[in-house]
Amino acid sequence: MSHDEPQAEMARLRARNPVNLAGGLLLVALGGLAFWLARDLDPGTPREMGPGMMPRWLAVGVALCGLALLISAFLVPRAVNEEGEQTLPLRGPFFVVAAILVFAATIRPLSIGDVILPGLGLAASGPLSLLIAGYATPEARLRDLLALSFGLTAFCMALFGDLLNQPIPIMPRALADMFPPGWSEKAILRATTALLAAVAVAAFLMRPRNSSDQDVSASMRDE
Amino acid sequence: MSDFLANLGLGFSVALTLQNLGLAFLGCMVGTLIGVLPGVGPIATIAMLLPVTYGFEPVGALIMLAGIYYGAQYGGSTTAILVNIPGEATSVVTTLDGHQMARQGRAGVALGIAAIASFFAGTVATLLIAALGRPLTNVALVFGPEEYFSLMVMGLVFAVVLARGSILKAIAMVMTGILLSTIGADGETGAQRFTFDYDFLSDGLDFAVLAMGVFGIAEILRNLGLTQSRDVVHKPIGRLLPGREDFGQAVAPVLRGTAIGAALGILPGNGAVLGPFASYTVEKRLAKDPRRFGRGAIEGVAGPEAANNAGAQTSFIPLLTLGIPPNAVMALMVGAMTLHEIIPGPQVMTRNPDLFWGMIASMWIGNLMLVVINLPLVGLWVRLLKVPYRLLFPAIVLFCCIGIYSINRTPTDVMLIGFFGLVGYALIRLDFEPAPLLLGFVLGRLMEEYLRRSLVFSRGDFATFLEHPISAALLAVAAIMLGLALLPSVRRGRKDVFTE
Repeated sequence: MSHDEPQAEMARLRARNPVNLAGGLLLVALGGLAFWLARDLDPGTPREMGPGMMPRWLAVGVALCGLALLISAFLVPRAVNEEGEQTLPLRGPFFVVAAILVFAATIRPLSIGDVILPGLGLAASGPLSLLIAGYATPEARLRDLLALSFGLTAFCMALFGDLLNQPIPIMPRALADMFPPGWSEKAILRATTALLAAVAVAAFLMRPRNSSDQDVSASMRDE
Repeated sequence: MSDFLANLGLGFSVALTLQNLGLAFLGCMVGTLIGVLPGVGPIATIAMLLPVTYGFEPVGALIMLAGIYYGAQYGGSTTAILVNIPGEATSVVTTLDGHQMARQGRAGVALGIAAIASFFAGTVATLLIAALGRPLTNVALVFGPEEYFSLMVMGLVFAVVLARGSILKAIAMVMTGILLSTIGADGETGAQRFTFDYDFLSDGLDFAVLAMGVFGIAEILRNLGLTQSRDVVHKPIGRLLPGREDFGQAVAPVLRGTAIGAALGILPGNGAVLGPFASYTVEKRLAKDPRRFGRGAIEGVAGPEAANNAGAQTSFIPLLTLGIPPNAVMALMVGAMTLHEIIPGPQVMTRNPDLFWGMIASMWIGNLMLVVINLPLVGLWVRLLKVPYRLLFPAIVLFCCIGIYSINRTPTDVMLIGFFGLVGYALIRLDFEPAPLLLGFVLGRLMEEYLRRSLVFSRGDFATFLEHPISAALLAVAAIMLGLALLPSVRRGRKDVFTE
């Protein structure tokens, strides 16, 4: 009996709901950060609310919720039926966020400090980011993704650029200047769209049809 | 009455133009498409398509966006019945009996009754919006800042009570949402709040950015972590029209479901999500043999489907009459209206009657279209379900990027959806529900404004909210709801409803 007691003591100190412990810590940190960032804003008086009043109250409120959650994490065990995955997959978030960042960084010229990234335009950054995103799952297959990336980019260029007249950069200026001088913006856009669509069709036709065992099993999984 | 008919006549004359019919059809098709596909929700889709509607007339734009919203409710049930995965959050309940019916070879009847129930509920809800529009607008005109503030407090309390899981966490999410809404220049003094001197933050966060990150990208990240098998029913779908006996069993549940859904949908704070759950519970209680539920009872499809669609429609009421969006989709509608320089609220009906009534009429037309689209095209939607997720999600990511870029043409917006995608994913992993956060964000700026005005009028006295009778009543309702939700017995019941 006696040697059980330190263990019981340990169990009492250990969080019974680690998810709520993390959540509580996050809220306390968020509230604290917001309070600190709002330190220079004038809270004013109730009669004349300043810009700092709402942020401060809310920061305190968020932190208090976090505190309550922290305490509850030690008192109330995690319910069994709550969604509980223990592993933290990194592959998905990494590739998806990378795809988004690549799109943001290449769609048009962007200067970060002294570094100036050349804008590639939709014709290049669309397929690029779709390919990267596709690899977020281990089931990714390059040829399917190639066909999809060029096809979908062509579709988006036709939809957003041609039909809806959204000014989305299509390609780098230098490349657009290489078209014959008589060509209008629309003509260049349409030519590029057609080219991308052709590439997509080619990539689609070049797909191996169940050529290897691996592909057969993969396609059976999808059915 | 003649007023009512004249208004509806005006509405139909607007909605029946060729262009608006086309846009309603397009919206319904897109809505059904994304409703059928699990993992693509109406929030992310409408956010993606906001820039697409720039070029349209305001009426056409709103008709299309509304079509996407209720189209998604229809499409979601198709997936629920055939695949046992809710295509939309609101069709969770339909999986229980709908999928069982499909496994018994009665998929067609389930789809048919779902469509008919939804159409009936949509018709009633449309008439209800038309009938309640004017009186509620008159109510809105006597609302002062105190009443508006209290109404929004009540809406947020509802959102908290209706959220899944811990109430404490939901409260934290609401407050975080309001906190996020304070980012940017202060409306009164222009002081920069939380902007870190970045220009792109001084206008505040764009709602579309937050919604697309937290609902679009985070949902993808969550799905990538799950291994989900799609159990598409292989049995023949069977005949689509329910027989006389089926109708007989379904009539009363449809009527009750419509009433429950319509009533809950009007509430600010996304009451519509509760409709299907409430209807299912009621039907199960009233049934002579409750054991049939969960084993393919047609009442378990008819009631919740009616409630679902009625709620989706009537949630337009707070937006159109009071200018307060009750859920995230309606908040995007506010965004769409502001893009076209229409300020949502009671003045819409008087200043833009063609928009108000045209939209209402188009809802009924859209519902009719959905019955026609959904039933014959079921085979097409089933084929669509076979598109593997590994190809679907990269396409969604690219659409999100292009969509958000074309709203403001700033790469920072694109980066922010990545950031909020990660934030949303972290919230999901930590058992926080993002819906209350979004609603807090939507209402935050308005609440601060009305609070400030109320306190100026009352010279800093907070009792003003209790001295105005309507405001006091709204706050009392909010307090009672919160108190009830915290009672141990109700808490258990609430858990049952959401885990059933």
